[in-house]
Amino acid sequence: MNTPFAHASEAEMSRILDFYAVRWDYEPHTFPILWNLDGDVVESFSPDFYLPDLDLYLEMTTLRQKLVRKKNRKLRRLRELYPDLNVKLFYARDFRALMLKYGKQALTAGLSGSSGQVAAPYDGTGRLTTQIVADQVMAAEAAGIVAAATGGESPPTAADRATTRSRHSSGATAITKGNVTHA
Amino acid sequence: MNEHANLHEDIGEILLTEQEIDAMVRELGARISADYRGRKLTLVSVLKGSLPFMADLMRAIDIPVRIDLMEVSSYGGTATESSGLVRILKDLSASIADEDVLIVEDIIDTGLTLNYLVRYLRGKAPASLHICTLLDKPARRLVEIPVDYTGFTIPDRFVVGYGLDFGELYRNLRYVGVLKPEVYTEVGAG
Repeated sequence: MNTPFAHASEAEMSRILDFYAVRWDYEPHTFPILWNLDGDVVESFSPDFYLPDLDLYLEMTTLRQKLVRKKNRKLRRLRELYPDLNVKLFYARDFRALMLKYGKQALTAGLSGSSGQVAAPYDGTGRLTTQIVADQVMAAEAAGIVAAATGGESPPTAADRATTRSRHSSGATAITKGNVTHA
Repeated sequence: MNEHANLHEDIGEILLTEQEIDAMVRELGARISADYRGRKLTLVSVLKGSLPFMADLMRAIDIPVRIDLMEVSSYGGTATESSGLVRILKDLSASIADEDVLIVEDIIDTGLTLNYLVRYLRGKAPASLHICTLLDKPARRLVEIPVDYTGFTIPDRFVVGYGLDFGELYRNLRYVGVLKPEVYTEVGAG
């Protein structure tokens, strides 16, 4: 059965993971990240991939910069609420670098950004669902009816939370010498 | 392959000089020699990128070692695209059962290839399995793998030289350099 990917870059990533025999699930879990005062979930986050053998969520962010900022905000909130969740955000530049590494740099123009949308979810109005949700949340926040994740009045219950996982970080910007560990 | 490539002119910046690499290789060799003294060590190099590093590292190690070579297909390679699965293009030439094995890598970025290799080699029942890499690019990591010996942790730049290639070129540079963006942009556009 073909997975209905929302973006061509996600389909390409699935092929890369398959190639290296890394098992994956597409958007298997949804994490609530914002509730209104009645306790209803008004915003949630479904990372694109879950790699069960690595206990890692992978979120592809190859959209326009405006949407990237919104996704970054959602990710920050996700990490506040689920600090042990292992989530890797994959930006457009990461995807371009990956394609360059695999000699597929000619594909990046077509696979990243809005032109890479292959099956974007629509509500019939022509707007992306992600945009619609983001707009709704921003409007709700402006109206003061949404409980913020930190200091808010509707924290997630245990049932809302997924199993806790270890978090990792990465990102070096300078050359450092050597490491260190060995058995 | 970019037939217009210029070996040195295409490099925008030298990230690691020949001297810096040499000093680090000697340091790694000394550390590995101390850690594995009295044990049966096999160095497993992953072709093609780690070839210069392997050649220098094995000579910087002053204990008896066996060496072996492996090659695995890379995603995007024309020879393997039809299968869609990574393949062992060259397997070990001897058993590593009950041997102490050290994988010698040129660079670790996503960790996908290494993750596959580690799983594959573990299936051959070595006494121990550890990893040595000259370069580590953690910003690109998808699969976290404990690395036992790291030469340099480098920023998120596209590097070539000392075994690392772009389109199979630049491997013979004695240093590690950052490729000018226009080089791979031109190739990509072509």
